Amino acid sequence: MVRCLEEERGNPASAHRSGQRARRELERARERVAELLGARPETIVFTSGGAESNNLAIFGAARAAGSRRRIVSSAIEHSSVLAPLADLEARGFEVVRLAPDRDGRIDAGKAAAAIDDNVALITLGLVNAEVGAIQQVAPIAEAARRARAVFHLDAAQAVGRMPIDVRSLGCDLLTMSGHKIGGPSGIGALYCAQETQVAPLILGGPQERGMRAGTPNLPGAVGFRAAAEEVASALHAETSRIASLANALLEFLLGAIPGLELNGPRLERVPNTLNLTFPGVLGESLLMALDLEGVEASMGSACAAGAVEPSHVLVAMGRTASAARSSLRISLGWSTTDEEIAFAAATIARVWRRVAAAEPITETRDSGVAETLR
Amino acid sequence: MNGRVLVAMSGGVDSSVAAAILRERGYDVVGVAMRLAPEPPAGSIRRKATCCSHDDFEDARRVAERMDFPFYIVDLREDFAARVIGNFVDEYLAGRTPNPCVMCNREIKFDRLWSRAMAIGADFIATGHYARIEQDGDGRRRLMRARDAAKDQSYFLFAMGRDELSRTLFPLGAMSKAEVRARARALGLRNADKPESQEICFVPDRDYAAFVRRAAQSRTPAPGRIVDSDGRELGRHPGVHHFTVGQRRGLGVASGEPLYVREIRAASGDVVVGRKSELNARGLIAEQVNLLDPELAGREIPVEVKIRYRHPGLPATLRALDGARAEVRFASAGPAVTPGQACVFYRGDEVLGGGFIARAIAE
Repeated sequence: MVRCLEEERGNPASAHRSGQRARRELERARERVAELLGARPETIVFTSGGAESNNLAIFGAARAAGSRRRIVSSAIEHSSVLAPLADLEARGFEVVRLAPDRDGRIDAGKAAAAIDDNVALITLGLVNAEVGAIQQVAPIAEAARRARAVFHLDAAQAVGRMPIDVRSLGCDLLTMSGHKIGGPSGIGALYCAQETQVAPLILGGPQERGMRAGTPNLPGAVGFRAAAEEVASALHAETSRIASLANALLEFLLGAIPGLELNGPRLERVPNTLNLTFPGVLGESLLMALDLEGVEASMGSACAAGAVEPSHVLVAMGRTASAARSSLRISLGWSTTDEEIAFAAATIARVWRRVAAAEPITETRDSGVAETLR
Repeated sequence: MNGRVLVAMSGGVDSSVAAAILRERGYDVVGVAMRLAPEPPAGSIRRKATCCSHDDFEDARRVAERMDFPFYIVDLREDFAARVIGNFVDEYLAGRTPNPCVMCNREIKFDRLWSRAMAIGADFIATGHYARIEQDGDGRRRLMRARDAAKDQSYFLFAMGRDELSRTLFPLGAMSKAEVRARARALGLRNADKPESQEICFVPDRDYAAFVRRAAQSRTPAPGRIVDSDGRELGRHPGVHHFTVGQRRGLGVASGEPLYVREIRAASGDVVVGRKSELNARGLIAEQVNLLDPELAGREIPVEVKIRYRHPGLPATLRALDGARAEVRFASAGPAVTPGQACVFYRGDEVLGGGFIARAIAE
């Protein structure tokens, strides 16, 4: 990737030799990324990342949908899915947002039942970003095929954490992100099955088979390829290593923190994220205190101006807003070591005790003013 | 390291310099900006020049980046709405004139943020207030006026407890505003010349009555009568929340001589007006009184009392009563006393304590 940034100035779309070298690098990257998904190279459209892939899938399929006016999705999707859906809803599409169960799983039977000839698109996260639940999508894929509706999977959280095969998943479109698998940011891909109709968002050139105009991000693609090769060779060993680290951390914390709850399924999950409700503390406070001690965690969502809203995923899973505010995600990655987990476990337990003692959650004496001003 | 200190940062120049000074002195500074005011209603004008707008947070964040210390935004909107805005509205509905900044210090900075400081393992909390904390030979800490009398903010801090005094730092207490700005420029802080915020942060347009109506909705006071001291109706008014004791303008009553609001009777909706001489009080009864020196209880103490932030102070005698109340008798007839405002007791530069004005003592 560095070599590519330093030396490879060619435009892969140009005819000269440096352009040809660049084109070869780009196509090698496309092949490796395709392999990771069990797909053919010509089905891979490089994008700027997961958010763009989701936008391209949703807006692109909607524009190509003809007279179909319904979209089936869920209440626990990533904001780069929810926001395009809200936009389409405002333009006259009907959006069905399926509710998950308490563990963040979408009932595949209910989803399949919602699919009929008026459905243009089904868009679902294969793995939920916040709680790690893996969705069972085979019945949905079958229903989509029968209704001739486009089936999009947001797999940004799934690739690199579980084996992915677009044929066995039965999807028409699939989102993946470069940096989520250890590659650089600024690159992602949309798998787009050959016969699937998707209108491009970025017009003005023939690149990416006309699906995305603009000079390709070659250094990004080369880094993406390296990450994809790494995933392909080490996925199995790494997932089981991370699963055992995550389990060790969870078991320790369950023993050390009475009332701690895991959000999401115990099984049927990707192992890299633990979403935990910490009793008696504000997630925001615990997050700050942990960060200062060298343990990084994350919360549902916080806007740039610091307004903390309870996670829409946890609320859709039936948690109270207060429980959602007491929840943090602790993520493990390919670089996480045994020592780091031991340090994190001890630190989280110690810091939780301090935060719970110093800043217990108190019921606010709500005068109702907050409501009226909202 | 001098220990960890949580510094409350607004994005303004004062708290920025406070944080920078502590960092230079070797403290483990953790900067925190508080998200307090609720979202503005949809369609309203963009809030400018008030605390806790996005730009202010960015200013604070830049200071943290420049001075290389961690910075966080904490969301205290619910507590602020319940404890500060709720109190503000209730006070207006009861015919009093609240001081939300005092309430914010007591309920938010030295309660909620204090707890947060302890939760993150901080040894101290610091703010950009212009006030000083001095330590006696026997270790007792006293809250003192700032060196710069024009900027002194000790009035807003009377509700602090003794434990809080021992773990609070006011790095600006001995500095003038000009020195603070010069320091900010020397440090290369972008907000060195940022204007000060004056208004109440959650009512940037200063239309308190409109804010009260929006927040109180069905509890908004009904229109009522403007009466003189003998109960004669002189006119009508749109609701008691439009008035403050001592106010002269906006009464809408024609009279030969200037009339002032003497009393607001929330229960009947009457606003009693009178001539300026009728407003003069001999003293006041304070409630929710905090005495920073508990040995003062049960004695008559000569003090100087400030009955508003910008009030120059009056000589008076303080006598603490049961139930966190106190009686304050002015040495001579004082000005109008506004229920709901804070009154703060000083001995020289030392803050002895303070409370909220419940009512005037007429004679």
